[in-house]
Amino acid sequence: MEKNQILAEVQEIFREVLDNEEIVLANETNADDIEEWDSLTHIQLIVAIEKHFKIKFTSLEILSWKNVGEMIDCIKSKI
Amino acid sequence: MLFTSYRFLLFFTSLFVLYWIFGRKSVKVQNGLLLVFSYLFYGIAEWRMLPLLIVATIVFYWLGIKIDKSNNIHSRKIFTHIGVLLGIGVLLYFKYFNFFIESFAYFFDTIGIHTNIHTFNILMPLGVSYFTFKLISYVLEVERWKMEATKNFVDFAVYVSFFPTIMAGPIDRPNKFIPQLQSPRVFSIESGIDGGQQIIWGLFKKVLIADNLSPIIDGVWENMSNYSGSTLVFALFLYTIQMYADFSGYSDMAIGVSKLLGIRIAKNFNYPFFATNIKEFWQRWHISLTGWLTDYVFTPLHIRFRDLGNFGMILAIIINMVLVGMWHGANWTYAVFGLYQGLLFIPIILKGKMHKKQKLQTTILGLPKFVDICKMFGVVCLYAIGIILFRAENLGQSWEMIRGICNLSIFSLPQILTHKVQWLLSVFFILVITEWYNRDREYAIQPLSYSLKSIIPYILIDYILLFFVIFKGNVGANSFIYFQF
Repeated sequence: MEKNQILAEVQEIFREVLDNEEIVLANETNADDIEEWDSLTHIQLIVAIEKHFKIKFTSLEILSWKNVGEMIDCIKSKI
Repeated sequence: MLFTSYRFLLFFTSLFVLYWIFGRKSVKVQNGLLLVFSYLFYGIAEWRMLPLLIVATIVFYWLGIKIDKSNNIHSRKIFTHIGVLLGIGVLLYFKYFNFFIESFAYFFDTIGIHTNIHTFNILMPLGVSYFTFKLISYVLEVERWKMEATKNFVDFAVYVSFFPTIMAGPIDRPNKFIPQLQSPRVFSIESGIDGGQQIIWGLFKKVLIADNLSPIIDGVWENMSNYSGSTLVFALFLYTIQMYADFSGYSDMAIGVSKLLGIRIAKNFNYPFFATNIKEFWQRWHISLTGWLTDYVFTPLHIRFRDLGNFGMILAIIINMVLVGMWHGANWTYAVFGLYQGLLFIPIILKGKMHKKQKLQTTILGLPKFVDICKMFGVVCLYAIGIILFRAENLGQSWEMIRGICNLSIFSLPQILTHKVQWLLSVFFILVITEWYNRDREYAIQPLSYSLKSIIPYILIDYILLFFVIFKGNVGANSFIYFQF
């Protein structure tokens, strides 16, 4: 799967979980850019992403992402 | 050496002059001075523990570089685990060792096995709860690629021992603090006024409110049986006010002192009495500790338990809050205090309100709506109940307090409602109102602009505050509640 397609699917998950249809993700987007994205919703997002792509992240992977781009790279390496 | 002492004034003035005259354009001189004065500050307080601080700094500096240089995840993890275990080990040994021995002995005694274990005479290093958390935070941030290990030992040593925060926080994060040491700090009138103003505000809260309340509340706790139930309840609320005035006052002074040196440190309070539920309260109270535990305990646990849904979150928050409690000291009262606070989160989690950010609406006068005032008061009540555990010397004393409260004397007038207490409550009321109207600012009397015209009212406010501090404050008091932790 191409990175752009993963990004589009992740964006859809963000909109659904955070209940905000206006969210637009880019590789550089991080938690500071989206009001609803905090340490708690982060875990909800991860559970939804893991379910959607049928993958499992390690704790260190989850804790080390600095932005959406790094998360997408990690997803790509697992599917 | 307390911020409120003349000794500190002399100490800080000497550093301030040297720092801005000789270190004006040199990072090395500025950081060198900060390190020398920080070690001096620590050494004056407890010279016997200075070697521990220095050795710990050297070991963690080395570990940071080893983690950074590790080519594979495995060795990265090993060095990080060594760091975390060492940090926790130092904390456990100095702070909790005797507590564990006593608890084990008690446990064996209750099941009929007689033990002959003795406790040790361990001297607790000052600020150990604060600097070990800074050290652990450093190795974890490097492990998570959130920052590179610093190659400058002086920078790292200043981060660990920075004198305004070594005794009682705020607990700074390395990725926010160390970069500030990498370029020369430039003095500006704005940050000078801002820092001075915050110190005065902290001084006002600490010396006028906290230190005047302290002997009154101590008197009640020492002779509980002499007081009515209503007095005991009243004392719980007064202690909540004292804690806030003491610790947020101390934090304001630490932040202000740092600003005068051109350094921004972590925030510790964000108007906690305006929280409308307990979750929000803990996001506003002792932020640098709760933020630390959120990042390094709650979130990793929550990630681990993520497939358990709400139950996973409840489990993570309860473990986290028990640790928040236990951090305060080696006593079961703190553990139960943490457990109590953790349990208060359950209704919020089950209602799905953990993720919701509450936005307060105001009335025409700019005050909160009545329903929100009730919620705020409710949160303060829940916290004040926790004080029964937090302040007690042991669980027995907590129980004595509860028994003292639960009788008909609760319907009488509190015995300590003296003129002085009434006056202090009025001052506190004015403080809360001032904080409410200025809650968008870092602290309630922070100037919005620094032109001469806009500064004049603040100078007047400072005169009034300092007048009360000098003539009405309990200047002789010589401790901060959070030094003991």
